[in-house]
Amino acid sequence: MKKRIFTILLALTLLLTFVVTGCGDKDKTNDTEKPDEQGEVEGTDDSDDDDEGEEASEVTDDPDVKVINLWSFTDEVPNMLEKYKELNPDFPYEIESTIIATTEGAYQPALDEALASGGDDAPDIYCAEAAFVLKYTQGDAHQFAAPYKDLGIDLNLVDEAEIAPYTVDIGTNPDGDLVGLGYQATGGAFIYRRSIAKDVWGTDDPDVIKEKIGPGWDQFFEAAEELKAKGYAIVSGDGDIWHAVENSSDQGWIVDGKLNIDPKREEFLDLSKKLKDNDYHNDTQDWDDAWFADMKDAGPKKVFGYFGPAWLINYTIAPNCGGEAAGEGTYGDWAVCEPNVGFFWGGTWILGNKDTKAKATVGDIIKWITLDSSEEGLQHFWANGTLEGPGGTKDTVASNKVMAASDGTLDFLGGQDMFDVFVPANEFAKGTNLTQYDETINTYWRDQVREYTAGKKSREQAIEDFKQQVADNLDIIVD
Amino acid sequence: MKYNDDVGVRYGNNISRGSYVAKTLKYIVCILLAIISILPFWIMFMNATRGTYEIQQNAISLLPSTHLLSNMKVLHGKSFNPVRGFINSLIVSTGVTACTVYFSLLTAYALVVYDWRMRQPFFTFIMAVMLIPAQVSGIGFYQFMYKLNWTNSFLPLILPAIAAPAAVFFMRQYLLGALPLDIVDSARIDGAGEFHIFNRIVLPIAKPAMATQAIFSFVGSWNNLFTPLILLTKQDKYTMPIMVSLLRGDIYKTEYGSVYLGLSLTVLPLFIIYFVLSKYIIQGVALGSVKG
Amino acid sequence: MKRRKKSVSYAKYGYIFSIPFVVVFLIFSLYPTIYTAVIGFTDLKGLGRTDINFLEDPFLNFKAIFKNPSFIKSLSNTAIIWLMNFIPQIVIALLLTAWFTNRRNKLKGQGAFKFLFYMPNIMTAATIAILFNSLFAYPKGPVNDLLMMLGISEKPIEFLREGWTARNIVSFIQFWMWYGHTMIILMAGVAGIDPTIFESAEIDGASGAQTFFHITLPNLRTIMLYVLVTSMLGGLQMFDIPKLFLNGGPDNATLTTSVFIYNQAFSGSYMYNRAAAASMIMFIIAVVLSGLLFYFMRDEDEVKLKKEKKRARKEQARRAKEGGSVV
Repeated sequence: MKKRIFTILLALTLLLTFVVTGCGDKDKTNDTEKPDEQGEVEGTDDSDDDDEGEEASEVTDDPDVKVINLWSFTDEVPNMLEKYKELNPDFPYEIESTIIATTEGAYQPALDEALASGGDDAPDIYCAEAAFVLKYTQGDAHQFAAPYKDLGIDLNLVDEAEIAPYTVDIGTNPDGDLVGLGYQATGGAFIYRRSIAKDVWGTDDPDVIKEKIGPGWDQFFEAAEELKAKGYAIVSGDGDIWHAVENSSDQGWIVDGKLNIDPKREEFLDLSKKLKDNDYHNDTQDWDDAWFADMKDAGPKKVFGYFGPAWLINYTIAPNCGGEAAGEGTYGDWAVCEPNVGFFWGGTWILGNKDTKAKATVGDIIKWITLDSSEEGLQHFWANGTLEGPGGTKDTVASNKVMAASDGTLDFLGGQDMFDVFVPANEFAKGTNLTQYDETINTYWRDQVREYTAGKKSREQAIEDFKQQVADNLDIIVD
Repeated sequence: MKYNDDVGVRYGNNISRGSYVAKTLKYIVCILLAIISILPFWIMFMNATRGTYEIQQNAISLLPSTHLLSNMKVLHGKSFNPVRGFINSLIVSTGVTACTVYFSLLTAYALVVYDWRMRQPFFTFIMAVMLIPAQVSGIGFYQFMYKLNWTNSFLPLILPAIAAPAAVFFMRQYLLGALPLDIVDSARIDGAGEFHIFNRIVLPIAKPAMATQAIFSFVGSWNNLFTPLILLTKQDKYTMPIMVSLLRGDIYKTEYGSVYLGLSLTVLPLFIIYFVLSKYIIQGVALGSVKG
Repeated sequence: MKRRKKSVSYAKYGYIFSIPFVVVFLIFSLYPTIYTAVIGFTDLKGLGRTDINFLEDPFLNFKAIFKNPSFIKSLSNTAIIWLMNFIPQIVIALLLTAWFTNRRNKLKGQGAFKFLFYMPNIMTAATIAILFNSLFAYPKGPVNDLLMMLGISEKPIEFLREGWTARNIVSFIQFWMWYGHTMIILMAGVAGIDPTIFESAEIDGASGAQTFFHITLPNLRTIMLYVLVTSMLGGLQMFDIPKLFLNGGPDNATLTTSVFIYNQAFSGSYMYNRAAAASMIMFIIAVVLSGLLFYFMRDEDEVKLKKEKKRARKEQARRAKEGGSVV
């Protein structure tokens, strides 16, 4: 008996010591962290006072710093910096790249820890993907991002380079300062099959086709009916219309801290159901095998088109079309036209750490990637596919000025210049209906929509269950 | 061992007819299980030779294709450095395995052989530790490691393996059944020190248990992705699974062929280690042979 | 006097040999764990928070978790999926152990079989999840193709949208990954049994089944307890496959408690406090369940242990006496 009491006592003291020391440690670190933070805040405030308005402040690098830390989730940006070093032969810094994939969900926790811990290993430049960029520009982690103007970037460049407005909206923090921009613009188009268009409407002219499939969803379903009559599916699955629906809504999932189902997003239930009940699609899900198979006519019905930005063409449809030159597979049989609703999908934003010691250089690099519209700027190489020598993959970029000066013709699109469609598409995309929880909420919503369209539950029940899932898993008020 | 085999052979001659049926049945079950064990590996190795396009059209194929070299090239271009990853993984996994096996046995030995006052409470304590769900104590662990500035070091991956409660539990259960206390006593009478007894006498007896735990901890550590992913951020410290996850990471243009090739390369060393260690398990080093 | 000194000096080694475990555990496990436990009573949520306060109602998070329908569902899912994989797993593993350790009726190629059965465990969960996802793909996938080719189904079936099918597949994957593992443990246990027991049984003419039920199984008791406890704990903490295979879906059908906790902490809202409270609840469930297991498996084992101990002590005393007399 004595033994047992002794053990319990020992365990309790152990526990207490740890709780106490644990909390003590926390307080200590808080104390040491705070002065630092305040110092930084004061520093930035000073520079604000000196240069009112949009003009860039004079910034310099701390001469003791030798390394610039870059955090990214793919090797895309690290490779760009190789090019930057090539263009600036006397670049004095070593670039330490940290690449953590988003697939296992580890990029954000690691980045958050690194940002919060600070110190020499803290990221100077970091990247965020569309699915979670809001967290770093406006949400829980926005306090780490430096306003571009504090990095010595002249904000007049935004207008000069004609940057897609939605990317600016997304990259602006709650104080109204611009903290992040992309190099890519991901405004979406409708990507369709020329041969099917000719078979159904007698022409493959993008200006005609855009009148057939839009504007709006009623027009879209009329086209679906016409396509069905000839044995075609208008899209591959319900996921294809989701990105268009999501981004064309007026409000995001959260309004004033409460869950909000925008009528246009709620309509996705009915649109999906209509697609499924009328057999307008092959009932695939995006990124599944069957979805890829539809790109080369390997599904049960031939599929007319996909909703997507330029990267979907270059990185997804082209490698899966079943050929590498015109005439092979569906290669060359594609075209892009204005979609029935404006939207964007994906993209990468570049942010600078407000605590970076190399403000001038970080600013220079970010400017070169996001705002430099000259022929030496990153976006020029990116749009023309010349970053790693000629003949690379062309992509749409954030700067309309660069796209106007670049050649977007693709053999894959039968010689069409994709920039003709994607430049206006960037104007229609909205950046104001995003929230930092989109990735999670979208998953719940699409799961419930699929339950409804599969006939497993009623429309009301699906909405009810969706609300319950959000309430169960997120810190959002649900009525 | 020899004697045992002889016994098997002697009785093997007397198998009756009915047991042939039973034997056939056993073979059928075993072969079926073997097939479903091999199949995914087969598919993985086949996919390593197929192109991304082929895989996206149909992820499962039993026949190889011709893209092995081009997958190799993609891997090479993607900052995938198998040699570096292999060495890093080997350091971490070997460290983890050595720590787990040696210290777990040591702790278990302390629990089984010595009659100390805190023995029972300590054992209960280890059991309680085992019951703590792993998912969330992770939060505290990562923050602690970042505070200590132990990122980009292998130590936070290796050292915690010294305290592996499940392994201690296993070793204890094993020693309870397999270690006769009189061996220890007689060694003491011969004048052997306690550490000497442990290293020279107990270790060999516990070989099957050690091999078993060694395989488990080596495989577990080799495949461990999440912890290294958060703690190792410098490229020259990446382990194999981190490199593979990076290959999968590019959501816009995943190169599936090279992902499977990377996965295959990751599994190969495991095969070898498993093959070497499984000798002990398959032969079943029995207590008697040590005695004899 | 001498005698006492001796036994005390041995007990000392019990402490010495446990030091590495204890030290490492305190630093790397206990501190983070208690940190987590404490969080369960605070308002810690969101990123980079430094001002953590204890809640006025200390059990607020716990109450919220108990009222959470997804959590309740995740508990029943975890139990269902674990039972559906553990029962076949232990049966097959025991069967294989019996076959492979049957000393008269030896199967040929045993080594190869044993080697192969553990192999699924070598593969990372991510790969397995991808492969099974492709196998059951809809509307076009190997299983669907096969069923339609054989005329069993007319239209492709969306397997992974059916809750029970999805649960069954997760259970099957768990079974398939772990039966070899369980078998190896059981066989290591058999290897630890004194072979003279088997030899004498053989000489007495016991049949294979008799030997297994009357000698092997009772002697495996301690190892069986290990298998049961670790498998149950593993089952409670089942995470990789449910997370990577269907991310808890469809419609929460494969949402396990660990996935639920992970989602609370990392998928969006960073509700560390609620995640910590849920972890503590899981911890209590684990304690109760393993307590029950220990209770049911205990009696004989413990009695035997005590007997052994007594015998050992007597022997020691006897020896010490003898030694003393010699000196």
